[in-house]
Amino acid sequence: MVKRALAIIIILITGYWLANALAQVPFGADKMLVGKYYLENVKEQTGAVNAVTAVVVNYRGFDTLGEVTVLFIAATGVAALLWRKKRERTAKSEGSVVLQTGSRLLLPFIMLFGAYIFIHGHLTPGGGFPGGATIATAFLMLYLAFREYEIPHNVFEPLEGLAGMSYVIVGLIGLAIGGYFLFDWIWQTWQLGHANIGRLFSAGFIPIIYTLIGLKVGTELTGIVDNMVKEPKEGGQ
Amino acid sequence: MNPQYASLLIALPLFSAFLVPLIKRAGKKVILPYLTLVTLIQTGIAAWAFKEVYTTGKPIIVLAGGFQPPVGINLYIGHFAALFVLIIAVVSFFMTVFSMKAIDVEPIDKYAMLFLLLMLGATGMIATGDIFNLFVFMEITAISAYALTGYNKTGEASEAAMKYIILGGIGSSFFLVGVALLYGSLGTLNLAQIAMLASKMNPTVAQAALALLVFGLAVEAELFPLNAWAPDAYQASPHPVTVMFSAFVVKAGLYAMVRIVYLFKDTPAFMGILNLILILGTLTVVIGELSALRQTNVKRMLAYSSIAQIGLIAVGFGVATPQAVDAAVFHMVNHAIVKALMFLAVGYVAITLGCPCIESFKGLGKKMPLTAFAITVGAISIVGIPLFNIFWSKFRLLLAALQVGKTGIVALILGASLVEAVYYFRLIHAMWFEESKDEKVEENLAFSIIMLLLVALIIVIGVYPEPVWNLVQKAATDLYNVANYIKNVPLLGVSP
Repeated sequence: MVKRALAIIIILITGYWLANALAQVPFGADKMLVGKYYLENVKEQTGAVNAVTAVVVNYRGFDTLGEVTVLFIAATGVAALLWRKKRERTAKSEGSVVLQTGSRLLLPFIMLFGAYIFIHGHLTPGGGFPGGATIATAFLMLYLAFREYEIPHNVFEPLEGLAGMSYVIVGLIGLAIGGYFLFDWIWQTWQLGHANIGRLFSAGFIPIIYTLIGLKVGTELTGIVDNMVKEPKEGGQ
Repeated sequence: MNPQYASLLIALPLFSAFLVPLIKRAGKKVILPYLTLVTLIQTGIAAWAFKEVYTTGKPIIVLAGGFQPPVGINLYIGHFAALFVLIIAVVSFFMTVFSMKAIDVEPIDKYAMLFLLLMLGATGMIATGDIFNLFVFMEITAISAYALTGYNKTGEASEAAMKYIILGGIGSSFFLVGVALLYGSLGTLNLAQIAMLASKMNPTVAQAALALLVFGLAVEAELFPLNAWAPDAYQASPHPVTVMFSAFVVKAGLYAMVRIVYLFKDTPAFMGILNLILILGTLTVVIGELSALRQTNVKRMLAYSSIAQIGLIAVGFGVATPQAVDAAVFHMVNHAIVKALMFLAVGYVAITLGCPCIESFKGLGKKMPLTAFAITVGAISIVGIPLFNIFWSKFRLLLAALQVGKTGIVALILGASLVEAVYYFRLIHAMWFEESKDEKVEENLAFSIIMLLLVALIIVIGVYPEPVWNLVQKAATDLYNVANYIKNVPLLGVSP
């Protein structure tokens, strides 16, 4: 009881102190130190109409590479911790007819939509992460609908690694051509697509990287679903 | 050579980690030698960067994407980062060799990936020049550390990983709120520009932001009261991982904390935060040492000892005079060497004799003379006996504390050494003067070489501290000379 009261008091003091500090950060004031630079130079430097994408993939591409890695670690960690020699699905019953037919019918469309999101990342809201997550839901539905279903592991696992590797390779090509890691050589050195701003074939390596991220996130999240849905087999360690 | 190639320090481990699923197809036996090869190349690159920085005296600034900071993200490989990136790479290399014997739990391919990414995360935390990028690398380090802590899949390991994940999550959110406060009031994420604009910030906001950042990083830096996860995690994780935790993961966290706090050197918020670090550091030392005293599991005892040493380093940074920072960085280097040796040796004993409990160590001098010798040297060094490396860093720390008249810290260091003497000499006594009926064990050649190398390093630094001391002084200057740090980063002319 005393412990709980003490905890509440500490929380209140911390909360008051934080609120006090937050109150002194001018809300809504123009703090566009770097933001303004992005808005003024984004089209010319990256070719992307969607400035957010340009910030994510070009200006702060290093962070994005890191975020991709974080998700990769999460998937690897789940796989490492749930690893057993033999594992199996333990669902008690099949999904209903509606779910089974629906998931089969919708599978190509969901994947198409996911691919649309990441391929058009430089034009419309969205990008590799939401696109990949959309693709993973297609497989999640298959897992829900069918008791025996399992993804082809020998395709997914190498694909995941390959997509990540290609991202690093794209960055390294930038280092070789432009002299900087993650340098957008397609837009800045080759100057491809400069007449195309606002259309699909523009924005340098953004569509390439977003496609890679989309594939990676899709396979990774599906892998996590697969790992979490299966349970160790009786007798198997 | 184009200094931008230093970005390979990040690109190589990443690429190699993504390559592991393909390497696995060539057979499970290839994975660990592959890991050794990658860390060896990483060591080569780190050595090149180290040579470059220390001969030219100028930091390597890597611009990601070719965009100038603060618009783009930059890496800042100065004297400090160059030194520690090299330490990280070398320790990781040794640990890949150790892993070949110490890791027998599946799935080994996942272990290899997590291992590489843990190394990558710590490297990035030390090398980055952008506060949000620091957060990303901290997440990389932390999440791979959670997974590696639970890797053995025993109940104990799972519990430790769970504790770590909860505390780590809380720490990360603190850190993120702190970053938000900074960005909200300065409009930039670049460390050098934050330092430049720091004096314009509202002092209340600055203090709150710094306190949040310090508490957020205290989880990784193992400072009391956020280090409850550490002893469990050290004890339960695979032995090579424990070495990495103690030798560089915790140091990356501590470095990040100190780097950020020192950026605010000329602001009114600075003194308050220094006092906070001093208090946290002191409590960490006291509680770490007293807990170490009661342990019967040697690995856990070393874990507490490691925490206490980190506390001492934090106290050094809390004093914040140039002399104290020099001493603290020196202690960081020495501690990395000694604890790498100790955890390696104890881990080796544990896999050979079954457990790292004190019973295994009785009569170790007869069973595994070389390992026992290595542990003895390490123990004597930690206690702070002259002619061993840690003596010098403790001594420098003492002098620095005396200079500013903080006798409390002097008493703390001496008291800590006394307590260390008690539990380390108990261990030494068990190894050499107690009998055991077990047979003598053939010691592995590779491990013996690594241990002897580290022992040699301890003694060489102990006898001739000057060369390392000079290196360390340069590294420390990199930390506290913030004006120089700002000057070295080629900031684009965007200003309020």
